[in-house]
Amino acid sequence: MVFAFKDVSKNRGEKTVLRGVSFETPESGVFMIVGPSGSGKSTLLRLFNRLDEPDRGTILYRGRDIRSINPRRLRREVGIVFQTPAPLPGTVEENIGFGPKQLGNDVDVAGLLRQVGLSVDFAGVMADELSVGEAQRMMIARALALRPSVLLLDEPTSALDPASVRAIETLVHNLVRRDKILIVFVSHLTEQVRRIGGEGILIDSGRVIYRDGADKLADMLERIGG
Amino acid sequence: MLDIALSSVLIAVAIILSTVLQMGLRKSLLIGMVRSFVQLIAVGYIIHFIFQLEGIVYQILLLVAMSVVASFTAHRQVGGIRGVFIITWVSIIAGSILTLGFLIAFGVIDTTPRYFIPFGGMIIGNTMNSIIIALERLISQTRDRRHIVESALSLGASPRRAIHHLLKSAVRASLIPRINMLKIAGIIQLPGAFMGMLIAGASPIEAAKLQIIVMYMIVGCVSISIMVLSFLMPRFLFNKNEQLVFTEEKNILKL
Repeated sequence: MVFAFKDVSKNRGEKTVLRGVSFETPESGVFMIVGPSGSGKSTLLRLFNRLDEPDRGTILYRGRDIRSINPRRLRREVGIVFQTPAPLPGTVEENIGFGPKQLGNDVDVAGLLRQVGLSVDFAGVMADELSVGEAQRMMIARALALRPSVLLLDEPTSALDPASVRAIETLVHNLVRRDKILIVFVSHLTEQVRRIGGEGILIDSGRVIYRDGADKLADMLERIGG
Repeated sequence: MLDIALSSVLIAVAIILSTVLQMGLRKSLLIGMVRSFVQLIAVGYIIHFIFQLEGIVYQILLLVAMSVVASFTAHRQVGGIRGVFIITWVSIIAGSILTLGFLIAFGVIDTTPRYFIPFGGMIIGNTMNSIIIALERLISQTRDRRHIVESALSLGASPRRAIHHLLKSAVRASLIPRINMLKIAGIIQLPGAFMGMLIAGASPIEAAKLQIIVMYMIVGCVSISIMVLSFLMPRFLFNKNEQLVFTEEKNILKL
């Protein structure tokens, strides 16, 4: 397993958002975190790379308590893509090269653009001029530039048109097949959960209420009205 | 006092106009008029008292007190975020010591209360205003662009690197009005020190020379203070785990 969450709880102000969450992820493939809106999925995802800290419980990354790992080192190994694109100022090439540049490394921008299904011509385009679908693919390329062993995707298709949704889903399948990385995919859409596949957990009101394969998770999600 | 009473008639006119036109400014105007009267008369007596005292220590104490009030004002204006008071104070003190120290060391101004206190007061007041602009800009943009900052953190950037573009924008926003002040000096408005010197009977050339020194001093102090502020600020926007100290919900701090 890559990650193990043990009895993790998280408060936001007065409200408890996660309550005693425990689960383990596989070494690679897709791990789904599904649940209705407001169930605590995004809050949970932010704990994987220490953008947030749990109030109780332990999170292990490859057997080590993540509190003992330098946050920058952890984040380079555990990339994240948010619901809506968050481009940094500058061109697509500068965005994709941002992570490796922090370490003084170069990056194969053209190769990464091809990998996410974008033309190499996009390299010189200003990142804030891309369409939402193009920008979201650039976000994935930017995260992949650091060659992470885990990629966290927080409802990455929620702002996209159907064609872009399919393109991102195909990209996820390709990444799992070719790069053998672990993708933690957050979704509240039953059909998407079925299409993405893999295994995972269903959370509701901050608790893990079910764990199984994607089809069963989708059935349960449908049943609780997600 | 008769002159003051007569000039207050102008504020009374403004209050009457505000009432007739239902602008809702009557109370603010009244409070502003009373506060400015009390504060200026009080500071007049304090400075009069300090003018009688021998030694620069009392003047420095007065300027330190002004810098504390300025830092507290900045702290209140930006929503009481942890650490704002201390970094504002350190920034103001750093800029003031360097600019006043330089001008005194080279004999541009002397340490008599007549020069030292007005010059010190001017740089502290102007620096406070610029710091408030920088802080408000930086904090609101960091909140609004939280995902961009957290994206940069997630790519292994240091907190300083993650907010570099926001820091740059805040520094520019706070300094551009000062730079514009230099560009338009004497063309669109006659600055305060220039006017004061003219009223006091100095020649226009002497007044212009003093005004140039004042403006260079203000821009120098503001620039140094803002740079110090931008150096210190990342420490207060992130905690030791390199996480933003405020979440999506405004003012919920995770310290």
